[in-house]
Amino acid sequence: MAISRVVLFLFFWNAILWTPARSDLVILKLDRKIDLTSQTVRVTSSLKIENAGPSTASKVLLAFPSHQARNIAELRSFYREGKSKVSSDQLRVELVEPQGMPPDLTFYAVQLQKDLRRGEILNLDVLAVFTHSLKPFPEQISQTEVQLVVFQDSAYYLSPYVVKVQSLGVKLPSKNVESFTKFENSKLIDSEIKYGPYENLPVFSYTPIVVHFESSSPFAVAQELLREIEISHWGNVQVTEHYKLVHGGAHNKGGFSRFDYQSRPFASESSSFRHLLARLPPRAHSVYYRDEIGNVSTSHLRGDSRKTELVIEPRYPMFGGWKTSFTIGYGLPLKDFLFQSEGRRLLNISFGCPIEDVVVDDLIVKVVLPEGSKDFYSSVPFSTKQWEEIKYSHLDIAGRPVLVLKKTNVVPEHNEPFLVYYRFNNLSLLREPLMLVSGFFLLFVAYIVFMHVDMSISKSSASYISKLQWDEVQTSLQHVLSVINRCLAVHGKLEASLRDLSRTGDVRSCKAARKAADSVFKELLKELNLALGSLQSSPQAAQIWPKVEELVAKERELQERLILKHSSVVDSYEKKHSGREIENRIAAHEQKLVALRHEVDDLIEILDELC
Amino acid sequence: MANSAKPISSPVPQEWYPTLAFFMLAVGLVATASFFIYEATVSKKNRSVLKELSTGAVASVFLGFGSLFLLLSAGVYV
Repeated sequence: MAISRVVLFLFFWNAILWTPARSDLVILKLDRKIDLTSQTVRVTSSLKIENAGPSTASKVLLAFPSHQARNIAELRSFYREGKSKVSSDQLRVELVEPQGMPPDLTFYAVQLQKDLRRGEILNLDVLAVFTHSLKPFPEQISQTEVQLVVFQDSAYYLSPYVVKVQSLGVKLPSKNVESFTKFENSKLIDSEIKYGPYENLPVFSYTPIVVHFESSSPFAVAQELLREIEISHWGNVQVTEHYKLVHGGAHNKGGFSRFDYQSRPFASESSSFRHLLARLPPRAHSVYYRDEIGNVSTSHLRGDSRKTELVIEPRYPMFGGWKTSFTIGYGLPLKDFLFQSEGRRLLNISFGCPIEDVVVDDLIVKVVLPEGSKDFYSSVPFSTKQWEEIKYSHLDIAGRPVLVLKKTNVVPEHNEPFLVYYRFNNLSLLREPLMLVSGFFLLFVAYIVFMHVDMSISKSSASYISKLQWDEVQTSLQHVLSVINRCLAVHGKLEASLRDLSRTGDVRSCKAARKAADSVFKELLKELNLALGSLQSSPQAAQIWPKVEELVAKERELQERLILKHSSVVDSYEKKHSGREIENRIAAHEQKLVALRHEVDDLIEILDELC
Repeated sequence: MANSAKPISSPVPQEWYPTLAFFMLAVGLVATASFFIYEATVSKKNRSVLKELSTGAVASVFLGFGSLFLLLSAGVYV
C-alpha cells in the first residue's frame, strides 16, 4: 500500500508539472458515484462538457492511472438527454495513445456520434467497471473475524480537461467504516462518503483517497470458466460450464472449525459463502451439477416461465483463498436460441457467466456447431480473442467445427447476447442416422458373407463330406416339400372352385379351374420327380426316404381323390342332380379326403423338422 | 438481430422421440428375427442373396433410425 501511495503522489506531481495544450473542452459539472457494495467496483460519472475552444471536437478523452486501467473490465459511455436518466445508444469507446500526455496514464476516447461545435454543451454518462480493486486488509483473518477491504482512488476526477464543479460519492456496503481519508468537504453520511463539491480544478488533478471498510460480500472469482455450447439440430442446445472457483477475499488463518461454523449458521458478517445462485435461461432442462471427481453435491432448482434458478452448494463453505472446481450443465430448447435468417442460421445466446456476482478472470466460450456447418463467424458486442478448433463427439467423421472466444476480466455486465452465424444444409442432419443404418447393415452383410463362405480347413475329412451331403439332402428335401406345398395350394383352389359352383352354378368356370389345375399338376409332377431323383441318389437320404415316399404316395392319392370328387360334382351339376344326391355321392370321398389330408400334414411336419 | 429471423426447431417433434424409438426398434427387431430365421432354416443352396440383403436392409434402416431416436430420447443429442 505504501508503494502505491508513492506512485500516486508521483502522478500528482506529474500532473501539476504537465500542462498540455489541448484544453478546448471544459467539464462544467461532474458527478461521480463509486459503488463498493460488491466485489466489482462500478464507477458512474455524469459529465457536462462544453466546447470552449475554436475547433470542433469529435471525441472525449477519459484518463485512468495505468494501475487502475489494468483492472478495467468494462467501459461504457452513453449520451444523457436532459434530466432523464434514460440513456440512449452506447457510444464507441476505444483505447488511444495521444501525444504529449503524462506517462503512467491510460487514455480511452469516447467517439461522439455528432461533432461538438464551439459553445455546444454535451451530457455524457460513463460507466467503468473494475475487478480486483478491493484489497483485503488485513490479508489474513480467522474464521469468525470480519473481512476488511481497502479501496483507493482520487478525490478529484482525473481528466485532461479543466473541471469546473465536481463531487464524488462512495457507496459502501455497511455503516462500518474503519477509516477514510479526511479531506476538505468530506463527510460520512450513513453508508456513503461524500467528497466535494470542488471547484475550478486544473487538468490532471489527483488527490489520493483511501477507504478502509467492512465488506462481507462474497468474493467469488472464477479463475477459469470454460463454457461449451453445443448445438444439435435434433432439438437441443447443450451448455456445459466448467468452473475453477476461488474465494478472492481475505485468506482464512488458524484453520477451519466446522463446529464454530455450524454453531453460528447465520453469521452474516462472515465473508464466506456456502452457496451460489445461477440464473439459467427459461425452459432449461436436464440440469446437473457435479464436482471435479464426479461427486453430486447439493443443489436446488426452481423455475417459472421467465427464468430458471439453480442454487448450488459446494461441499464445504468457501473461505478466503479456498478453491473449488465444479461443472454444471443444462439443455436448452433449440427454438429459443437458434434462428434462420437470409439463408444463414444464427445462434443467439448469452455470453457471460450465469452465476450471480462472479468475476471471471479467463472466460473461454466454445461454440460447437453441428458437423457440416460452414462459413461461420461471430458478432460479439465487445472485443474477444477468437480461434477455431475441431471437436469429435458422438457419431462424427470429420469432427464438429468449434468457434472459441476468449475474454479476460469478465463481469456480470458482459452477460449480453452474442451471435454466431453459420451455414448448414438440412441434408447433413441425415448423417448420423445413415451412419447407424450403414453400421447395422454392415453387420448383416458380414453375417451373410459368413454364412455363404465355406470356411472349413480340411476339405477331405469325413465329417466335412457328410455335412456337404446332408446339405444336399436338405436342399432336395426342401425342394420336395415346397413342390408338395404348391400341390396342396392347388388343391385348395380346386375346393374353392367347387364352393363357387355350389353358390353360382357356373359349370364352365369350374371346368376351367380344373383344366388349369391339371396343367399345374403336370408341371409339378415333373419337378417332383427331379427332386425325388436327386434325393434318392444320396446315401444320406436313406433314413428319411421311406417317409418321403409315403408322403408322395399319400399326396398322389389325395390328388386323385380330389379330382374324382371334382369330376363327379361337375358331372352331377351337368346332369342337374339335386343337392342331396350330390352330397351322397361325394360323402365317401369327403371322409377319405379329410383323413388323407391329415396324414399328409403330419408327414410334412415331421420332414420339416428334419431340414 | 434481423427481424426476419425465424426460430428453428427439430425436424421431428421432440415428444415423439420415445414412441418413435420404441416402434422403430420393434419393427427393426422383428425384421432382424425374420432375417435370422431365414438364415437358419433355409438350406444354403435354396437361399437367395437378394432376399437376405433386402431383409437385412429393411432391418438395418429401422434399427438405425430406432437407435437414433433412442439416443435422442435418452438425452444424447447427436
